[in-house]
Amino acid sequence: MDTELVTLQIDGKSVSVPAGTTVLAAAEKAGVEIPNLCFLKGLAPYGACGVCVVEAEGCPKLLRACATQVREGMVVNSKGERALKARKLAFELLMGDHDGDCLGPCKIECPAHTDCQKYVGEIAEGRFSDAAATVMETFPLPASIGRVCPHPCERKCRRGKVESPISIAALKAFAADETRRRGEAAPAPAVDEPALAGKRVTIVGGGPAGLTCAYQLARRGAKVKVVDQMPEMGGMLRYGIPEYRLPKAVLKAETDLIAAMGVEFVNNFKIGRDASLADLRGDCDALVVANGAWRSSPMRIPGEDSEGVLGGIDFLREKPRLDGRTVAVVGGGNTAMDACRTAVRLGAKAVYVVYRRTRAEMPAEEVEIVEAEEEGVSFMFLRNPAEVAVAGGRVAGLKLQVMELGEPDEKGRRRPVPVEGKFEDLELDVVIMAIGQKNDPTGFEPLVATERGTIAADRAYRAAFKDEAPGLAPVFACGDAVNRGAGIAIQAIAQAKETAESIAAHFAGRAFEGGLGVISARDPERIDFSAYEKKPRESAAVRPAAERRADFGEVSKGLTAEQAMAEASRCLKCGCHDYQDCKLIRYAKELKTDVTRLRGEYHPAELETKLVSIERNQRKCIACNLCVRVCEEKAKKGLIGLVGRGFTTVIRPEFRDPSAVADCAECRMCVDACPTGALRLLAK
Amino acid sequence: MNENESIVSLLQEVQAKNGYIPKDEIYRIAAEKGVSPAKVTGVATFYSQFRLSKPGKNLILLCKGTACHVNSADGIAAALKEELGIGGGETSADGLFTLEFVACLGCCSLSPVMMINGVAYGSLTPEKAKRIVREIRDSNDGKGA
Amino acid sequence: MLRIVVGMGSCGVAAGAGRVKEALERAGAKPGITGCVGACYLEPIVDLYEGAELKRRLVKVAPEDGPAIAAAAKSGDLAGVEKLAISAEDEEFLSRQTRIALRHCGVIDPESLDAYRAADGYKALEKVLGMTPEAVIEEIKVSGLAGRGGAGFPTWFKWNAARNAKGDEKYLICNADEGDPGAFMDRAVIESDPHSLIEGMLIAAYAIGAKEAFVYVRAEYPLAIVRLEKALGDARAAGILGQNVLGSGFSCDIRIKAGAGAFVCGEETALIESLEGSRGMPRLKPPFPAEKGYLNKPSNINNVETFANVAWIILNGGAKFAAMGTENSKGTKVFALTGKIRRGGLVEIPMGLTLREVIFGIGGGIRDGKRFKAVQMGGPSGGCIPESLLDTRIDYRELGATGAIMGSGGMVVMDETTCMVNMAKFFLDFTARESCGKCVHCRIGTRRLHEILTRITEGRGKEGDVELLEELCRGIKDGALCGLGQTAPNPVLTTIRYFRDEYDAHIRERRCPAGECAALRKFKIDPAKCKGCGACARKCPVKAIAGEPKKPYAIDPAKCIGCGSCEAACRFGAVAKA
Repeated sequence: MDTELVTLQIDGKSVSVPAGTTVLAAAEKAGVEIPNLCFLKGLAPYGACGVCVVEAEGCPKLLRACATQVREGMVVNSKGERALKARKLAFELLMGDHDGDCLGPCKIECPAHTDCQKYVGEIAEGRFSDAAATVMETFPLPASIGRVCPHPCERKCRRGKVESPISIAALKAFAADETRRRGEAAPAPAVDEPALAGKRVTIVGGGPAGLTCAYQLARRGAKVKVVDQMPEMGGMLRYGIPEYRLPKAVLKAETDLIAAMGVEFVNNFKIGRDASLADLRGDCDALVVANGAWRSSPMRIPGEDSEGVLGGIDFLREKPRLDGRTVAVVGGGNTAMDACRTAVRLGAKAVYVVYRRTRAEMPAEEVEIVEAEEEGVSFMFLRNPAEVAVAGGRVAGLKLQVMELGEPDEKGRRRPVPVEGKFEDLELDVVIMAIGQKNDPTGFEPLVATERGTIAADRAYRAAFKDEAPGLAPVFACGDAVNRGAGIAIQAIAQAKETAESIAAHFAGRAFEGGLGVISARDPERIDFSAYEKKPRESAAVRPAAERRADFGEVSKGLTAEQAMAEASRCLKCGCHDYQDCKLIRYAKELKTDVTRLRGEYHPAELETKLVSIERNQRKCIACNLCVRVCEEKAKKGLIGLVGRGFTTVIRPEFRDPSAVADCAECRMCVDACPTGALRLLAK
Repeated sequence: MNENESIVSLLQEVQAKNGYIPKDEIYRIAAEKGVSPAKVTGVATFYSQFRLSKPGKNLILLCKGTACHVNSADGIAAALKEELGIGGGETSADGLFTLEFVACLGCCSLSPVMMINGVAYGSLTPEKAKRIVREIRDSNDGKGA
Repeated sequence: MLRIVVGMGSCGVAAGAGRVKEALERAGAKPGITGCVGACYLEPIVDLYEGAELKRRLVKVAPEDGPAIAAAAKSGDLAGVEKLAISAEDEEFLSRQTRIALRHCGVIDPESLDAYRAADGYKALEKVLGMTPEAVIEEIKVSGLAGRGGAGFPTWFKWNAARNAKGDEKYLICNADEGDPGAFMDRAVIESDPHSLIEGMLIAAYAIGAKEAFVYVRAEYPLAIVRLEKALGDARAAGILGQNVLGSGFSCDIRIKAGAGAFVCGEETALIESLEGSRGMPRLKPPFPAEKGYLNKPSNINNVETFANVAWIILNGGAKFAAMGTENSKGTKVFALTGKIRRGGLVEIPMGLTLREVIFGIGGGIRDGKRFKAVQMGGPSGGCIPESLLDTRIDYRELGATGAIMGSGGMVVMDETTCMVNMAKFFLDFTARESCGKCVHCRIGTRRLHEILTRITEGRGKEGDVELLEELCRGIKDGALCGLGQTAPNPVLTTIRYFRDEYDAHIRERRCPAGECAALRKFKIDPAKCKGCGACARKCPVKAIAGEPKKPYAIDPAKCIGCGSCEAACRFGAVAKA
């Protein structure tokens, strides 16, 4: 007997299926994806997740597509407002009770979302080259950035709640160094992006942003040219970071690798002198502006134009000898630290750092401050330059306004306020202004600028010429020269990586969506860290202050392999192994779910790792019961079951009793069926 | 044992005999029914009637139904806590009393109500509730009313 | 010589009927028993009969009254017990009712098959056995009888679907898992008139063609189980139940299955799962039980009160039943009138009466001179109806329009001291705990509703919480798998709809207008009434009360946690909510 065919419409598409087919299966045939979590082909529909709800014309209730059989002439709408609302609520409820991390806080916190947890894990296993390759997925300068990055990743590292964070940056530098030492340094694999193949992209600026953008575009098959005003590539990494922190040879090896990928480097090329921006634009398929922020911000006080007053980055680039001189560095950030420590190495008799707040508010890295102190730098806190004392056109000293801390500002930092009429005088020969830097607009005037004078770029990193005309190559901009201006290198890298993705999307005709999108993240306040055994953080040996202050040799000796593996093994592995395949987060992203709005009490949960080689993390369990059902219906074992009722229902093996699960053949069907990362096959 | 009896009925038999459901009995029922112990546990933990640990000698069911709620069943719970030191689902240190909250005993007109060892006590006040459990404790060494 | 009959339903026993009966026996009398007449507030009740005639109904009887009653019964001189006689006003509580489902309750001895037969028992069954099943279903259709468990689905339709379902093996199930807190008519019927349930079930079994039937009864109803067990045994022995019922060739047996404590098992498919011995988690519908129910065979499920009407309808004709009530709702309905009501108990009235007639007419209004605030109908699936809607008629559709439901008949009356936010919280606490945990909307959604309501009652509510509650409620109604989840938001939605001001007071003013929410109330001592005994200070768990003996005490509002211990401890009424 022929099976009767039923014809129905799903989201406007007509489809004919045998009678008895479910709406979900019919939708699949019609090419309409209806989200579902508790359904698995071959198992009876269960109807728990409420995610596959659809509307049907003439039906007063929402229908569960997984369990509803088709009817002739049925008109189904899977994306009606009511169905979407109920579906979205299901995800909000699920995510609000899903106490799991999609990604480690390290990866979230890294502006470029470098997969820290992954490379740290690889280092723990001694797979150093794999670790370097993991970083190379994101950006091409692991050895350099590993040395200079102020590592926002470490600030949010959960290990910090146990005793101290993982030394993520140092591990990255270690892996990159070790990989290069073994001769295994290589770009990450090519990315298949046909739309970019052969596209000519010109990038202005060979700093971390320009190089990262070039690298990511080259991986995607573009023909990339980087032009840069300086004699060598590297930008601020080369000309702003002192050699004692980042040896030029390390940087050179990394930029050489990019050149070896076929990226064309053109140095000593200045916009406005060697070509106009418009010229460059006319000679490529896309133009990227990543020219950085190369101007020191002025102090705006009398006398600052005198001889002997230097900009911080100018000083770091030119490195004039300072033998016998007394030097003041104004500022409290990392550039100020670089400047004062460089001044020591250039022979200065005395070096002061003048900072208008106290040490506690200094934005510089703690280690930088400590090492500067060790090298003999004196700090003058709560002092603000009021005037440069000038004698014969040269700096003779600084008149310092004495400050005190007032009310906290919007970031919670207490604002320095002058103590009325209280001044001090400091005699010196050189003043270095390290209070910030700006982009130099010379040559970039054709671009639309922000109020700050930076280049204006939209969320897709698109910039525009003031006299924009149709048909011209698109212009993108990223890095220190753009929007909010100068930041740390990894922020510029983050923008550059996304710029490359945006350019790829542009040529492929896709919409560009930056960022991580919706993710689930645990609330660290609700995690009990007391169970973890404390293990001290490993740190690299450093040269003694007396020795290192005399030369520009690298201060840090880097982690040893033993140290690196020990350090990496401290990782709490916060991020989920299943992030890439997780149905829960995939749909949550698609529905733009607010994952914390309906957060409340979590269902009771424990981490079961002992019974069989399948780890069960009940915190992530959404009680879809698929594991129970496959174990019973497919594996014919029935070793796990629902325990309890309602919100407190958990799934677990009987009595946590090893004998009750001795029968488990580790067929891993439960692991495969789990729509989230609640189940994981452990390595034997 | 009747093999046609459902898991629920078998568990009820076990509980009637022991006052609770010992772990061994779960394995025994599973074996007799040819199902996994996980399934039997699932049933035993689903229904509020079943206890997996030994209860006190006297079982107090305090009604938390609507009528009892409106007539301050919470005050009775507080009084019992004061008198016996136990909350819902707990057994007193001396093992004499287990207190359980139930949805409705169906004696709404006499709310608030509790049932001790199958006997209902209605129109409770905190003082009356305390007196009743005190009497049971004193009588017969608390071996049951 | 008068016959003494003691009301021995669970309520009566809880009120001391057992001790009264013992006292009567000690006094030499031989009291008979009956079930529950429904006037629970008058328990223990002792009736004095001369033959079949009720001579005197004695109420609120104490064991000490035993000798006087025994003497009066012996002599026939009632003077000695007149002080116990029911008042004319209380008599109205009963006389204003129309009793069909409860027709034998409190009248006949529930443990006696003869008593039931003497009251026309099993005559309907005899009649039915001479009819075709189709004719029986037709009679029920004419009556307009609808499911009394809550949903109000036409009974004949379900019977017909089960009758027409393919298959030889069919099951009849009586849902006596009366889980709705605040309703107890099913318990009363089983305890007081078990044979009427058996007769109704046999008629239904005959109509649909079932040879096996179950009564799924709550484990919390031990007395009901005992009486039903006895009634089934008696009926079996008399050839009424089992093989060849009354010699007709029709066979059907009824077995008791005790529930194990899960409200969700009131839902048909969950009940079936439970009957089969599994976790009581609802199944997907369709297929409906009429098609695939118990053991995947066609099954029909009705509740106790529905069955209790059946024999009456057969004997008196469907038309007579349908003559009562409204266009949409026929016959009578039993309500459990409880809460802050003066005269509480079981009330059976024709459909179409107004809520006001039931609450104020039969129930006598609010006790203790307080003001009516709301009546909760339908339990955790229902809602709270405010004073402005008291003229709503008892009718499935009209009650549904208020946002509440007819439900199984719980009618909990609240006065001004009941906080409506706390009421919503109470129900959500219930549904969240009773949620089976299968579907996401109910499992997590009801929990979140409860959390939000909790924070509001504890003074931690946020602006926008009410809107969030409403949004969640609507989503849960739409997305939940079964009736429990789909109706769980009703108590929240109705209290928001009618008592929004109470929510706002909690959230914006951190104030509980009813003075019920402990976290939001403070107490103070009236110096004029305080005798300085110090009882309050001794009871205060946070030592917020200080004072000297014989002088007025005072409460430190900064320390007071609003627990109310002081108010309970004060014998002079000097402590009151601030």
